[in-house]
Amino acid sequence: MKKTNLFLMIFTVFVFIFLYAPMVIMVIFSFNEAKSLGVFTAFSLKWYEKIFTNTEVWVALYNSVWVGAVVTAVSIVLGMMMALAVTRFSFVGKPILDALILIPIIIPEITEALSLLVMYVFLNIPLGPLTVIIGHAAFDVAFVTVVLRARMAGYDRTVEEAARTLGANELQTFFRITLPVMYPAILAAGLLAFTLSFDDLIKTLFTTGPGFKTLPLIVWSSAARGGVSPDLNALSTFAISISLLFAVFRIRAEKKMRGV
Amino acid sequence: MYSVELDNIVKRFGNVAAVDNVSLKIRENEFFSLLGPSGCGKTTTLRIIAGLEEPDSGVVRLHGQDVTDVPTHKRNIGMVFQHLALFPHMNVFENVAFGLKMRKVPKNEIKDRVKAILEVVDLSGMEARRINQLSGGQQQRVALARALVTEPSVLLLDEPLGALDLKIRQHMMVELKNIQRRVGTTFIYVTHDQTEAMTMSDRIAIMKDGRLQQVGTPTEVYFKPMSAFVASFIGEAINLIRGRIQDGILTTQDLGQPILVNHGENSSEAYLAVRPEIISIDNELEGLDNILDGIVRDVIFKGSYIEYRVEVGPRVFVVHQHSRALMQRNFTVGERVKIGWRRNEGAIIPSSGV
Repeated sequence: MKKTNLFLMIFTVFVFIFLYAPMVIMVIFSFNEAKSLGVFTAFSLKWYEKIFTNTEVWVALYNSVWVGAVVTAVSIVLGMMMALAVTRFSFVGKPILDALILIPIIIPEITEALSLLVMYVFLNIPLGPLTVIIGHAAFDVAFVTVVLRARMAGYDRTVEEAARTLGANELQTFFRITLPVMYPAILAAGLLAFTLSFDDLIKTLFTTGPGFKTLPLIVWSSAARGGVSPDLNALSTFAISISLLFAVFRIRAEKKMRGV
Repeated sequence: MYSVELDNIVKRFGNVAAVDNVSLKIRENEFFSLLGPSGCGKTTTLRIIAGLEEPDSGVVRLHGQDVTDVPTHKRNIGMVFQHLALFPHMNVFENVAFGLKMRKVPKNEIKDRVKAILEVVDLSGMEARRINQLSGGQQQRVALARALVTEPSVLLLDEPLGALDLKIRQHMMVELKNIQRRVGTTFIYVTHDQTEAMTMSDRIAIMKDGRLQQVGTPTEVYFKPMSAFVASFIGEAINLIRGRIQDGILTTQDLGQPILVNHGENSSEAYLAVRPEIISIDNELEGLDNILDGIVRDVIFKGSYIEYRVEVGPRVFVVHQHSRALMQRNFTVGERVKIGWRRNEGAIIPSSGV
């Protein structure tokens, strides 16, 4: 018994090293004085200073945030309607729709990105922020729907009937009962949608127009241009911190969701 | 005027008639129960009164007004659900105040009325509690207060005590009846538990397969069942004797002797229903209309009464005797006894109820 525990512990440690070592190394070297990636000479914030004084970074951050916000709003509204449709109504083709929701989650992102580009070219839509948003939202809706659908499946609808017996009409019932009860799930789904959009590189790369860059895009393009450099480490560390922050919010929302 | 009237209500789910031509008149301030086994249509009937289900045909009237096409939120009813359906994102005050808010009652008045109704259900000072901080019995009372605070013309209760354990349930039965008397509202109570129905109701409607079997006071349905189903569904045990009635005498193949009954009509097929506690048991019996000879087969002590199973020919009669009689005399298995009852104490189930 004790032996197994020890083995399990060592195994777990290795898994964590495997998972996090690259990131830890990157974060450490973002604080390195020297430009070299080989040796850590002294602690320094100069790479952070370099990126934060770079207007391109600020513009990209701004782009990432507002694209993420729009994508989140669109995904929530569409995902909520989709989840309501598949959990509350029965209609022809519902099982097919139910399965189709999952497809964006399982197909490779590069395929999604390429298909988006093909569609935009075919429809002659000029590439830019709008095409990026459509591209993100089209796939994030699937994730939002899955999260909301799971919550709705376990939701006792008699609270809505109770509201109606107390004098609430359909609209009042939706806004005062259904929505507030769903709120933690909506929050969790929204944060997931935002994180997905904020982190996305491949779809953005394929669907963006000239001059419109998001944070992952400038990380990628500077890596492609000049290889790995310490300021890139700093930029990535910054991007990870933001994602991490949202992940923490999301986990808390999900905990709350299970608590209700 | 009647509080609730149902005229020939029919509701089908697919091919099954959940409610099959039910007509009811429920009086003002009455505690009325819909009693029956699961799937008998009692909950659907209640939901039709609430407007949560639409009948396929028939008319629903509240206080004389046809509300068949009026949506739930305009019916001025209150409802307590089986699983309570309290709003999880609101505290006690917000839950109870919800109906008043929907009616746009001024804030101060809401405060006063919530306070008053929480006093009625014995939850004073609990306003700020969250729903998941309350015990089952307290949640029950919040649901009741929420439904009552709007002063509905009729309160519908759908097996509200089902989830509670026995002790609290017994307490809540008495409590509910008291609250009903205090607020003076018509209560319509759905249950499969005859004890609940018997304890609280002024009248009971017994349902089976979507149809009304009998409507009457608890004593009526207990002592004068009008169908074999009601006779066996209500109460713990009943003796049913099947036979033909001719000139006030029931003859049956099982028993060697004719049984005297109080029933004018002749009938080729009918049941005589006799409750176990109606039957006397002794070594010698006199002055009763029907006296049969039998042998004691089982003696079961049940606390407040003793149950004897007495074999008479091919039949076994269930006889209940008050435990107090044990002080004087107790019968043992194998003993020869006489059992008997008065002709007017048995109930005849007409051929339509066979």
